[in-house]
Amino acid sequence: MTLDPKAFPQAARSALNDPLLRPALGRLKTHFGAGRAMAVQRYGDFESLRDAGKAIRDYAVTHLDELLVTFEQAVNARGGTVHWARDAAEARRLILGILQDAGAKTVTKGKSMVTEEIALNPFLEANGIEPVETDLGEYIIQLRGEPPSHIIAPAFHLSKEQVAETFFARHTALDPKRSLEERNALVQEARAVLRQRFEAADAGITGANFLSAKEGAAVIVTNEGNGDLTRLLPKTHIVVTGIEKVVADMNDVAVLVRLLPRSATGQPISTYVSVMAGRRGEGESDGPRDFHVVLVDNGRSKLIGTEAQDVLRCIRCSACINHCPVYGAVGGHAYGATYMGPIGAALNPGMMGVAEAAHHANASTFCGRCAEVCPVKIPLPKIMRHWRAVEHASGLAPKAITRGLALWAFAAKRPALYRFGASIAARLLRMMGRGGAVRAVPVKNGWFAVRDFPVPEGKTFMAQWKARR
Amino acid sequence: MSERPRVGLFVTCLVDLVRPQIGFAAVKLLEQAGCEVAVPATQTCCGQPAWNAGADSDAKDIARAAIAAFEGFDYVVAPSGSCAGMIKRHYPEVFETDAEWLPRARALAQKTHELMSFLVKVRGVTGVPAGFAHKVCYHDSCSSLREMGVKAEPRALLGTVEGLSIEEIKDPQGCCGFGGLFSVKYPEISERMADDKIADACGTGADTLIGGDLGCLLHLAGRMKRQGKTMAVRHAAEVLADMGGEKALGEP
Amino acid sequence: MSGREQILAEIRARRLAQAPKPQRYSAPKIEGDLVEAFAKRLSAQHAEVRILNSMAEVPEAVADVLRARNMAARIHLPSDSPLASLALGGVEVRGEPPSAFDAALTVAPFAIAETGTLAYPARKVEPASWHFRPLLEIAVLRASDIVGELEEVLAKLGTLPSTLNLVSGPSRTGDIEQTMELGAHGPKALTVLVVKE
Repeated sequence: MTLDPKAFPQAARSALNDPLLRPALGRLKTHFGAGRAMAVQRYGDFESLRDAGKAIRDYAVTHLDELLVTFEQAVNARGGTVHWARDAAEARRLILGILQDAGAKTVTKGKSMVTEEIALNPFLEANGIEPVETDLGEYIIQLRGEPPSHIIAPAFHLSKEQVAETFFARHTALDPKRSLEERNALVQEARAVLRQRFEAADAGITGANFLSAKEGAAVIVTNEGNGDLTRLLPKTHIVVTGIEKVVADMNDVAVLVRLLPRSATGQPISTYVSVMAGRRGEGESDGPRDFHVVLVDNGRSKLIGTEAQDVLRCIRCSACINHCPVYGAVGGHAYGATYMGPIGAALNPGMMGVAEAAHHANASTFCGRCAEVCPVKIPLPKIMRHWRAVEHASGLAPKAITRGLALWAFAAKRPALYRFGASIAARLLRMMGRGGAVRAVPVKNGWFAVRDFPVPEGKTFMAQWKARR
Repeated sequence: MSERPRVGLFVTCLVDLVRPQIGFAAVKLLEQAGCEVAVPATQTCCGQPAWNAGADSDAKDIARAAIAAFEGFDYVVAPSGSCAGMIKRHYPEVFETDAEWLPRARALAQKTHELMSFLVKVRGVTGVPAGFAHKVCYHDSCSSLREMGVKAEPRALLGTVEGLSIEEIKDPQGCCGFGGLFSVKYPEISERMADDKIADACGTGADTLIGGDLGCLLHLAGRMKRQGKTMAVRHAAEVLADMGGEKALGEP
Repeated sequence: MSGREQILAEIRARRLAQAPKPQRYSAPKIEGDLVEAFAKRLSAQHAEVRILNSMAEVPEAVADVLRARNMAARIHLPSDSPLASLALGGVEVRGEPPSAFDAALTVAPFAIAETGTLAYPARKVEPASWHFRPLLEIAVLRASDIVGELEEVLAKLGTLPSTLNLVSGPSRTGDIEQTMELGAHGPKALTVLVVKE
């Protein structure tokens, strides 16, 4: 599956016609959507918590350099190393370098969207190192050769039958006559297969939900425990993270840990919250001997000081995705990018360029549900609109629409002309109507591809008002 | 509450072009509520289509004209959460860096209202002398809900219409898929969203769908007509102004 | 210019305003008994919580938990564990790390009532991976070590350990059809013995 954000319209069409996708998308609404609503109600004053989260992240984003330097010092003090990657290629090289120095052949991976973003896995494979995804959803799609379709539930689009089919095809050492009817059987099989991989791994790579500057710690929020086995068993642990994940200290992390699971799945807390601060302690038998953090910029710093800066507050909870009606109609693969839904629409035009990701910013009704559920109050539709303005100003917007809009705007600034034009249009549309509606204009696309247009009365309000007064 | 406040009616371009009776219904309701209603002759549009498309310079020109046309009134009222929302929530954004127009935009935003919430919250209207003996379901537009905070007021007023009963749809927060130019740029996605909303509406057993934003209603009525569905679609203002006997949207 | 220099320079060059240091957030306080709140929240997260009156009741409780889960009367306990002196009676004690089919006995130095969470700083006497390796984890917790919120545990710890594991239930996943299954990678079951003494 190739990822191309420019192919969004075709990919969306395909997704709309995919019968397997609809029930999966329905489940997101009933599970994650309802879950969040319940958690918000139970918490009480959730608004104050959102305000607190926004303030913590705003402070971090506007003090990013200071906090990253503090973080680096704290990591160094605990015997770890911080690496700085300007872009995806540099990040890949740095990570490869660390793994080669460690003589690593197999690497287990906790879930990390940043490693998707920088396309790490194929690069490692091309260099003779085997990455093994251990988050169940990531493992399943790794076996299938698919990209994730959601930022926290990467395989949500699959049915259990599809997962069973994949396990039968890829776990060839196991008895082909075994039963994989039950979800539980699938989970137990993955548990057994991956336990061997955990034990044998030379290195472990995780992401970070948060970086705590003062203590030099990376924090992961999970339910499975795979991130922990990834960190604790091998001798090298690498944290790969965006630069914007840092906050001032662990008390700030404690506040965000109240916000993230509730916003994501509706849980008051995820099963495991793990604070990873460097190498194994003196005399400890678990934990890495080498601790590395790779800080990835890849277009993030470019957003500072722009109208899109607020997007850097994101804590990657997926609430916006779960509540978006457009994502809810087409799913994640249609976006053709690592980040999808509203957060993708706000981030991608900035990080990939407007020409590449224009559809993401345009395929929105600005219904505002995303901004309403965002735990850190990112004004997502406002940022999407900003990208549309950039697109318009660069002359990149599709000509048909911009010309039509320009014509209409020309008239809208000239009341007499507008009145005249509106009267003609009203009369024309009325004439074209049959049985109360206009069914098509010469080209049956746009509005008329899927709808009729209710016939106007024939005389505009302003004309009638003028006549009456 | 002031005696006979002067209200500038922001009729909206869709109402003007497609369904003027909504404008007349709004005038009737406002006059019934003791307002002196004027309709500035120079109004054309709030500029939202240009603003949402990122055509900022056009949006600014259109918005300046709207501000100039309406800033002299005590209140500006629109039979639309979307247009009222553009003025109230977004005009200050449009003129964020404009020292001359920002205060004027803010002043106008302050006194701009969606019709039904204006009647209930500002004029204290508690009921309307109208009849509409139908089981209806109500569509909250996203802008009414999330930009203007309008949810209880339409229901409060419709509840006093003789013979009318409201059956709530299952997912009132969900977008209908209109979204202005979205409906023509991504018609198949817009279609799916409409179909989900229509299925929800039909599931209530109501014979009429009522809403406060004509854009949503044209999109839903147009889709239902294409599907051959018979549910009638009307704007809330028409029903509240006792004009429920006229033809519904798209009715032959 | 190094990556570090360039990234920091970009951030500094582009920044406009700086947001103020936020006020300390105060989470809603727990009403009533911390032990009760802790037990209620953790039980809601698919873990079993038993309240015991004294450490002397632990051995029988351990044996009972294993029996109830149809597991062999065998438990893994780190040889340096503070519980090593406890006479576990008819239960065989093994010192090596538990496999994915075994039961492990651990000690939680702190717990958090707000979220029903056990707080495990990694220590020599109790390796961190023991909270993830076994099929069943049985945790022993003194009631007096239960505090209200995570911020209190952080204050008590002072310097962070190499790893701090906050555990709020058995391992779970919803990755297949959004339906929860237990025992994804970590333990399939968690029983907490809260000791009142």
